Amino acid sequence: MNFELDEIVIEERCRQSALAARVISRAPAAVPVNFTADARDAVRPAIGAADPFGAGKRRMVVMHRRAPFLMACPAGSSEFACCGYLVLVLASNCPMDCSYCFLQEYLADNPGFQVYANYADAFAELERTLRRTPGRALRVGTGELADSLAFDRMTGISRELVEFCALREGLLLELKTKTDEIDNLLTVDSRGRTLVSWTLSPPQVFSSSEKRTASPAARLAAARRVLDAGYKVGFHLDPVIAYPGAERDYLALLDDLFDTISPARIAFISLGGLRMTPTLRTAARRRHPHDPLLCGEEVLAPDGRYRTFTPLRASLLRALERRIAAASPAIMRYLCMEPPSIHRRVLGHAPAPAAALGAALAER
Amino acid sequence: MSDDDIAKAVRTWAEQHHLDRAHLEQWLALDADSAASVLDAASRLRLRVGQLQGALGMLEEIALVERTQVSAVLARAPLKRILEGVGPAPARARAFVDELRAMRFPRLGHALEQMKAEVVALKLPRMLAVGLPKDLGSDELRIEIRVRSGTEFRESLRALAERAEGVERILDLLGGKNFSQ
Repeated sequence: MNFELDEIVIEERCRQSALAARVISRAPAAVPVNFTADARDAVRPAIGAADPFGAGKRRMVVMHRRAPFLMACPAGSSEFACCGYLVLVLASNCPMDCSYCFLQEYLADNPGFQVYANYADAFAELERTLRRTPGRALRVGTGELADSLAFDRMTGISRELVEFCALREGLLLELKTKTDEIDNLLTVDSRGRTLVSWTLSPPQVFSSSEKRTASPAARLAAARRVLDAGYKVGFHLDPVIAYPGAERDYLALLDDLFDTISPARIAFISLGGLRMTPTLRTAARRRHPHDPLLCGEEVLAPDGRYRTFTPLRASLLRALERRIAAASPAIMRYLCMEPPSIHRRVLGHAPAPAAALGAALAER
Repeated sequence: MSDDDIAKAVRTWAEQHHLDRAHLEQWLALDADSAASVLDAASRLRLRVGQLQGALGMLEEIALVERTQVSAVLARAPLKRILEGVGPAPARARAFVDELRAMRFPRLGHALEQMKAEVVALKLPRMLAVGLPKDLGSDELRIEIRVRSGTEFRESLRALAERAEGVERILDLLGGKNFSQ
């Protein structure tokens, strides 16, 4: 996939880094490369831009990460069912542009597309975490604040990461993506310790709301290829958007998935209804005024987010859960950012504690 | 009316009613026919500013979802009946906003009607009330007991127990069981 860039900015202290060298050598010739002493200014919203967040997506900033690389998933909360995902922040923002994306709010003040040249420090941090928690299975992913594989053709980080994790017991790396950019993955042996997961949406959501992503068919084809190359695969039906006809479309999507990949070989499928804080909804509608899927039957829920009104959301999630269970009861299913009562209504049981679910997923 | 005249009339209405700038811009950004139709509705129904702001948002969203113009939405029979009807303007304005909401949230409206009918079917005594969550935004039912004596309290619990099946049916509906999409 070719994502457009307006500019590449490299922080002076990273000029000699392997990442900067790779990015410069693989960047399209027309994209200017500039250097700056402190890249933190370069990631701020562009002054005067009509769409500063969108402009940030097209400015790649190769910089030194000052904060820790590992963090708890920002979606995690005691209010919701939670999968215990640990986020490894190797990049921030995403060249794709999904209308519902929470980054429009989360990264509004730092929209520049950041890639961290000192990512080897992340490996050391992971190593320390593993040493501190012997015997505990950890699921770590890079796909929360960025797409795990977008721009991998330029950065090439995925190979090193997969190789690092291949040698660590008790660690499962999750690369979460909406791309089909898997070529680098096919050149390394993950030893089953990397799981690649795709967010799947029906064609209507893809065409209306997921700009510059790979098509649903391309995502499934890519999943098939990495599975054949020895990777585990998982899928996120998240957000599930309850437009008229959604149940039919999502069930057809699941049928396509099970036709492409044997249910027995799917590590997990997560489900989650569309949710938006008022701030995110305002930003999303301003940036994507022509996306009708942002005008569904969402109401303000007790947690302060706009969600599809409960009977419709629960009914839709339950229909999907039933289809998945019918395909194979062994597929692990979980809900993301849904309250425990919806978890019970959809899955028939209370959510497991985050750490337990995280460990169970890591052991898949 | 020319496009300029429509814009001028919209600005005049906005000034007279102290409409905020963001909503004025939203109104002026509509195609001329739509802007004029909204102005006509605002004048006929003597919409208050809050009602106009809400109506503008819903009209735009309905038009976007249904891939049509705001003027076409306003020309639909249920709205036209209200716009051209007789009776006091405030009541018609409320009916207009309610109708828009029903168009904007059709499945929610249907689900709410179904659940309200179930609540009515419980035939609750005065001491009991069942409250549905606002806009069905959660699956939590509020049950209120209002009593002034131990006897009333025991009576209310007995009455509630007798209606347990009906209450469970409402809880199931809230949780999406048998929900037809």
